[in-house]
Amino acid sequence: MHELSIAASILDIAEARAREHNAGSIQVIRVRLGEFTNIAREALEFAFEIARQGTLAQNARLEIEIVAMLVECIVCQGVNHPERTLCLICAHCGFPLRVVSGEELQVDYIELETEAERLAWKEYRYKQMC
Amino acid sequence: MERVPVQTNVLKANQETAAENRARFQTEGLLVINLMSSPGAGKTTLLETTIKGLKGGCRLGVIEGDLQTDLDTRRIRALGIRSHQITTGTVCHLDARMVARALTEFSVHELDLLVIENVGNLICPASFDLGEGLRVVLCSVAEGAEKPKKYPVMFHKADVVLVNKIDLAKASGVDLAELISNVRQVNPTASIFPLSSRTGEGFSTWLDWLEHSVATHSAATLVRS
Repeated sequence: MHELSIAASILDIAEARAREHNAGSIQVIRVRLGEFTNIAREALEFAFEIARQGTLAQNARLEIEIVAMLVECIVCQGVNHPERTLCLICAHCGFPLRVVSGEELQVDYIELETEAERLAWKEYRYKQMC
Repeated sequence: MERVPVQTNVLKANQETAAENRARFQTEGLLVINLMSSPGAGKTTLLETTIKGLKGGCRLGVIEGDLQTDLDTRRIRALGIRSHQITTGTVCHLDARMVARALTEFSVHELDLLVIENVGNLICPASFDLGEGLRVVLCSVAEGAEKPKKYPVMFHKADVVLVNKIDLAKASGVDLAELISNVRQVNPTASIFPLSSRTGEGFSTWLDWLEHSVATHSAATLVRS
């Protein structure tokens, strides 16, 4: 269950960036996750639910963009999506295939609540109470 | 809402520590192996046979990673080799920081080769760089021929694949050629050594390769300095 330490790393990175912007909270965390990693989407989402408690991302939505695996022959240079049974030997010339994409594990961007939004929300709540 | 670009690798913190470890290993001319396999593939027995085979020819240290117990470290120490145990508790892999901490237990400059025996697991350790120079994945014939297909990321990232327990191929009903072909499919460039830690079959080729790697690594460090 290494997804828990992955989720904790995602939150560390997102919170550090949010603090640079003096944000009160994080609304969205967008992650790019390659197909050719050992990270399971569902397990990561589950771990995130647990790990986000008490952080700036307590109410954040985790958006996961799956990055397809693409391979390229180092000799004939044809790029393609590998078959269901992974074989990294070129069917045409027998040379090794290089993984072009699918190994990504990256925090792409975050969406923050701005100070103006926070104040507007506070004002709205205050008016409702009066 | 304000969108802020981050574009940061999730494993950045681990990779930074791994880079520090790697720089240190390079300065000291130390070859470091990250040894990975499923539980029970025979990592510790492989190490024991390797240690005996090297006959003191290179100065070796071992870091053992397990969830619990120091049984493996005791087995290595019984052969007169410096060994340190990392018990991870519930964590399913070693990370670069654990290794950095363990290094304080060794006089790194007195070693030629450091083997880090990772936690037995074919999934999680694949994601965590420790700063090693060589990634060695061990699989045993007794696990069946399909392991490389089922755990392609781990086998894909290996520099060396050791196929252990070849003496049990017949008893396990496993075709060794099929297993090796499955390794090749996910990793066309790895060096593959079929061997048996118990009978010693195939071991001399692996030992020659390892001794050669240690020697060339030390020589490269001398040239650089």
